[in-house]
Amino acid sequence: MSQQPRRQRTASEPVLSVENLRTEFHTDKEVIRAIDDVSFDVHPGETVGIVGESGSGKSVTARSIMGLVDDPGRILDGSSIRFRGEELVGKTEDEYRDVRGDGIAMVFQDPLSSLNPVYTVGNQIKEALKLHQGLTGKAATDRAAELLKAVSIPDARRRLTEYPHQFSGGMRQRAVIAMALACDPDLLICDEPTTALDVTIQAQILELLNDIQDAEDLAIVFITHDMGVIAQVADRVNVMYAGEFVEKAPVEELFANPRHPYTQSLLESIPGRGDADERLQSIEGDVPTPHGAATYCRFAPRCPKAFDECDAIHPAHVDVGEEDVEHTAACLLYPDDLPQEEALAIHQEHQTEAERTGDGDAQLVDENTPPEEEQ
Amino acid sequence: MTGTEHAVHRSLRTRIRENQRPAAVWVAVLLALVALEAGALVDLTVVLVQGMVKAWPFGNPGMAGIESAKAAAEAIPTLLSRETIPNQGWRTSANGPWTNTFLGLEPMVAWLLRFALTYAYVGVLIGWFLYGYRLYREHYRQADWTPTDDVVRRFRSHSWGKFGFVVVVVFVVMAVFAPTLSPALAEENIENPYSYEMQYFDEETGSVETVFVGQANSQSTSQGAGDDNIGLWQYDDFGRFHPFGTMPNGKDLFTFMMYGARVSLFIGLLSMGIMGAFATVFAMTTAYYKGLVDLAVVIVGDSVMSIPQLLLLILAMAVFNGHWLEGIYNGGLLIALVFGLSGWPGLWRAVRGPAFQVSTEEWVDAARSFGQRPSATMRKHMLPYVVGYLLVYASMTLGGVIIGTAALSFLGIGIDAPTPEWGRAVSLGQPFIATQSWHIAMIPGLLVVAVVTAFNALGDGIRDAIDPQSEGGESETTAAAAGGGGG
Repeated sequence: MSQQPRRQRTASEPVLSVENLRTEFHTDKEVIRAIDDVSFDVHPGETVGIVGESGSGKSVTARSIMGLVDDPGRILDGSSIRFRGEELVGKTEDEYRDVRGDGIAMVFQDPLSSLNPVYTVGNQIKEALKLHQGLTGKAATDRAAELLKAVSIPDARRRLTEYPHQFSGGMRQRAVIAMALACDPDLLICDEPTTALDVTIQAQILELLNDIQDAEDLAIVFITHDMGVIAQVADRVNVMYAGEFVEKAPVEELFANPRHPYTQSLLESIPGRGDADERLQSIEGDVPTPHGAATYCRFAPRCPKAFDECDAIHPAHVDVGEEDVEHTAACLLYPDDLPQEEALAIHQEHQTEAERTGDGDAQLVDENTPPEEEQ
Repeated sequence: MTGTEHAVHRSLRTRIRENQRPAAVWVAVLLALVALEAGALVDLTVVLVQGMVKAWPFGNPGMAGIESAKAAAEAIPTLLSRETIPNQGWRTSANGPWTNTFLGLEPMVAWLLRFALTYAYVGVLIGWFLYGYRLYREHYRQADWTPTDDVVRRFRSHSWGKFGFVVVVVFVVMAVFAPTLSPALAEENIENPYSYEMQYFDEETGSVETVFVGQANSQSTSQGAGDDNIGLWQYDDFGRFHPFGTMPNGKDLFTFMMYGARVSLFIGLLSMGIMGAFATVFAMTTAYYKGLVDLAVVIVGDSVMSIPQLLLLILAMAVFNGHWLEGIYNGGLLIALVFGLSGWPGLWRAVRGPAFQVSTEEWVDAARSFGQRPSATMRKHMLPYVVGYLLVYASMTLGGVIIGTAALSFLGIGIDAPTPEWGRAVSLGQPFIATQSWHIAMIPGLLVVAVVTAFNALGDGIRDAIDPQSEGGESETTAAAAGGGGG
């Protein structure tokens, strides 16, 4: 499914390193654990995909990284988001501002509402330019026009003086990307940037992002619910379910060899992948709303392969790939080369461990594999 | 510069430099128009400053300078002034010609001319500004269309809103041009009538006599019974014309109304400014930061709201009695402060919703996500959406403040005599409402109603203009009534 050559992971330090990220929302009625123990790294020049259904916590992950989780939400202690080696969790709003834009920029889902309709597009791009590159006046106008050209908007000078409503959907999303680029970030978080666009425009935007990434050695976190889009853009994929990552793998491996029942179901529900005369599979039910640390497998109620222990033991990430491929899944079915009792014992042990240390650092952990370092 | 011509982005200054003629002509005419009335405008400013300084407790710094500034302001030649078109004169013989009036016209005609010309002048001035906006759209604005165009278009077709606008303009002109519009000066007729003399033709002696204005007033009273009444559109025995008649103490009601408008407008605008500032700052910060900040302001706002405004005003007037703060504009500043400091939660609540709504828009997140400062995000990306609502509710609350001030003066605890205030006129005229002197209470009462209704109408018009979805929605005239009830 992927049309572009996969980038090789460089040995460099990760740009972004998220560890044990947990974000909760405290409302009057209940506590919602929107993100539970999420960990991943992003290296320069690579695209990490996060895929999952609506309500699985993808956007909250993005907002947590940007420090945009508003009250009543908060990131729990023990979470760590390191950007260029610098810890972001616990930063004040003022300190965070230095990271936003300069370091991490974000492209939002709806290009219509992420541009302010009362200012011209040029005005908004120049706002970012002034903030991050200190450009004003003619210099800013020139640079803004260059940026619009860079995102393939023709007649850029004239377009700068137009309002967002005079742009088509695809054009608008290009303008938003131009705005993000105006900050000259190292990491770009794309939160469903193509969801509101039709398919042909989608392809153009994805191509554009790809070109920009190559030109600027930009790291991208790409969030989507669309498996097809993920296949096209991502180097590595994290499958998210109910606030947790249930499977992590390089994109080709994931599509060729999905291990977690959830990933398998997701892939089966893509039209045109299975046999033509088969009915399209769907996953019954909805994503549950997690209220705290899990003591069971959250997918179990919808899982076709669930068995009794699924309701009692919280699965840890275990290595499920070939020797040299980083592929982990959080499912009690694995490791499948061991008898079931032993496999369950491994998971059980991690859960007890996690409970003992206070919270769920129940990461990967096949004894042979050093935990998470090269993730 | 429409359509194809605006291919290159240039600043407004460059655009004006490239096409100077329309702008130059417009500015030249504007300056000429302002110069015609420069004296009146400078005078207003001086009077405002003077009122502040007069009550300053630590001596009167620069009072001499202000006096000389006032003299200078009066020396500025002004087209539509009492000096150019005087209306106060006297006959030299029974039914003889008038002297000292404009072209020897009778006082009524002279005054009417000055009155009409002043409003015509204001009409031209407003027209000139509208023309200026059109020039800007045609020649200097880069975009073919901006959201403001729709707002203006919708307001133009909103009759109720336009009615409000016109009445509000009439009211504001009363306040600004009070000395020009009045048949007599407040200083002479109302505040210090025994310091000024006037001449009139005495029919009994058959000659021109000189008398204190105060004495003339005491013989021109309107007290209901018998002949003791100078009603609407009448001359008194001293050859003075009274468009609205006289008050129970013989002072000119029209003059009283004009200067009273000044006081009402001052209190209204100042308290509105205070409320608006609080409401804006709190709405922006609570919507941006949410959570604890919001909760804190909610608690403070509710606490302030739970204080009965009327009692607070009475308390403040009593506590500050004799204090220098109470002296500024005869208590006007104090009333404005109390209204402003106790009234902001209402306005803040009105705009809190819209502020929260806009704070959840993605472009606010987008601005935050590229590191925009909170203050800049609030100002640039949130405030424009709230300003409209603020205008609507501000103009409605302004009506409430005017009613409130009038109510206080009616009760005798508002603006001290001799400074004119509409509510006091109603109070003074109240005993005579069923007699032939009904005009004393009736006219100020009607004017209060008209002005408050107009501010509500203007608010409705602005609301429908900025938010087309609300068109045909329920009228919010009750807001001012509630505001008035509070005061």
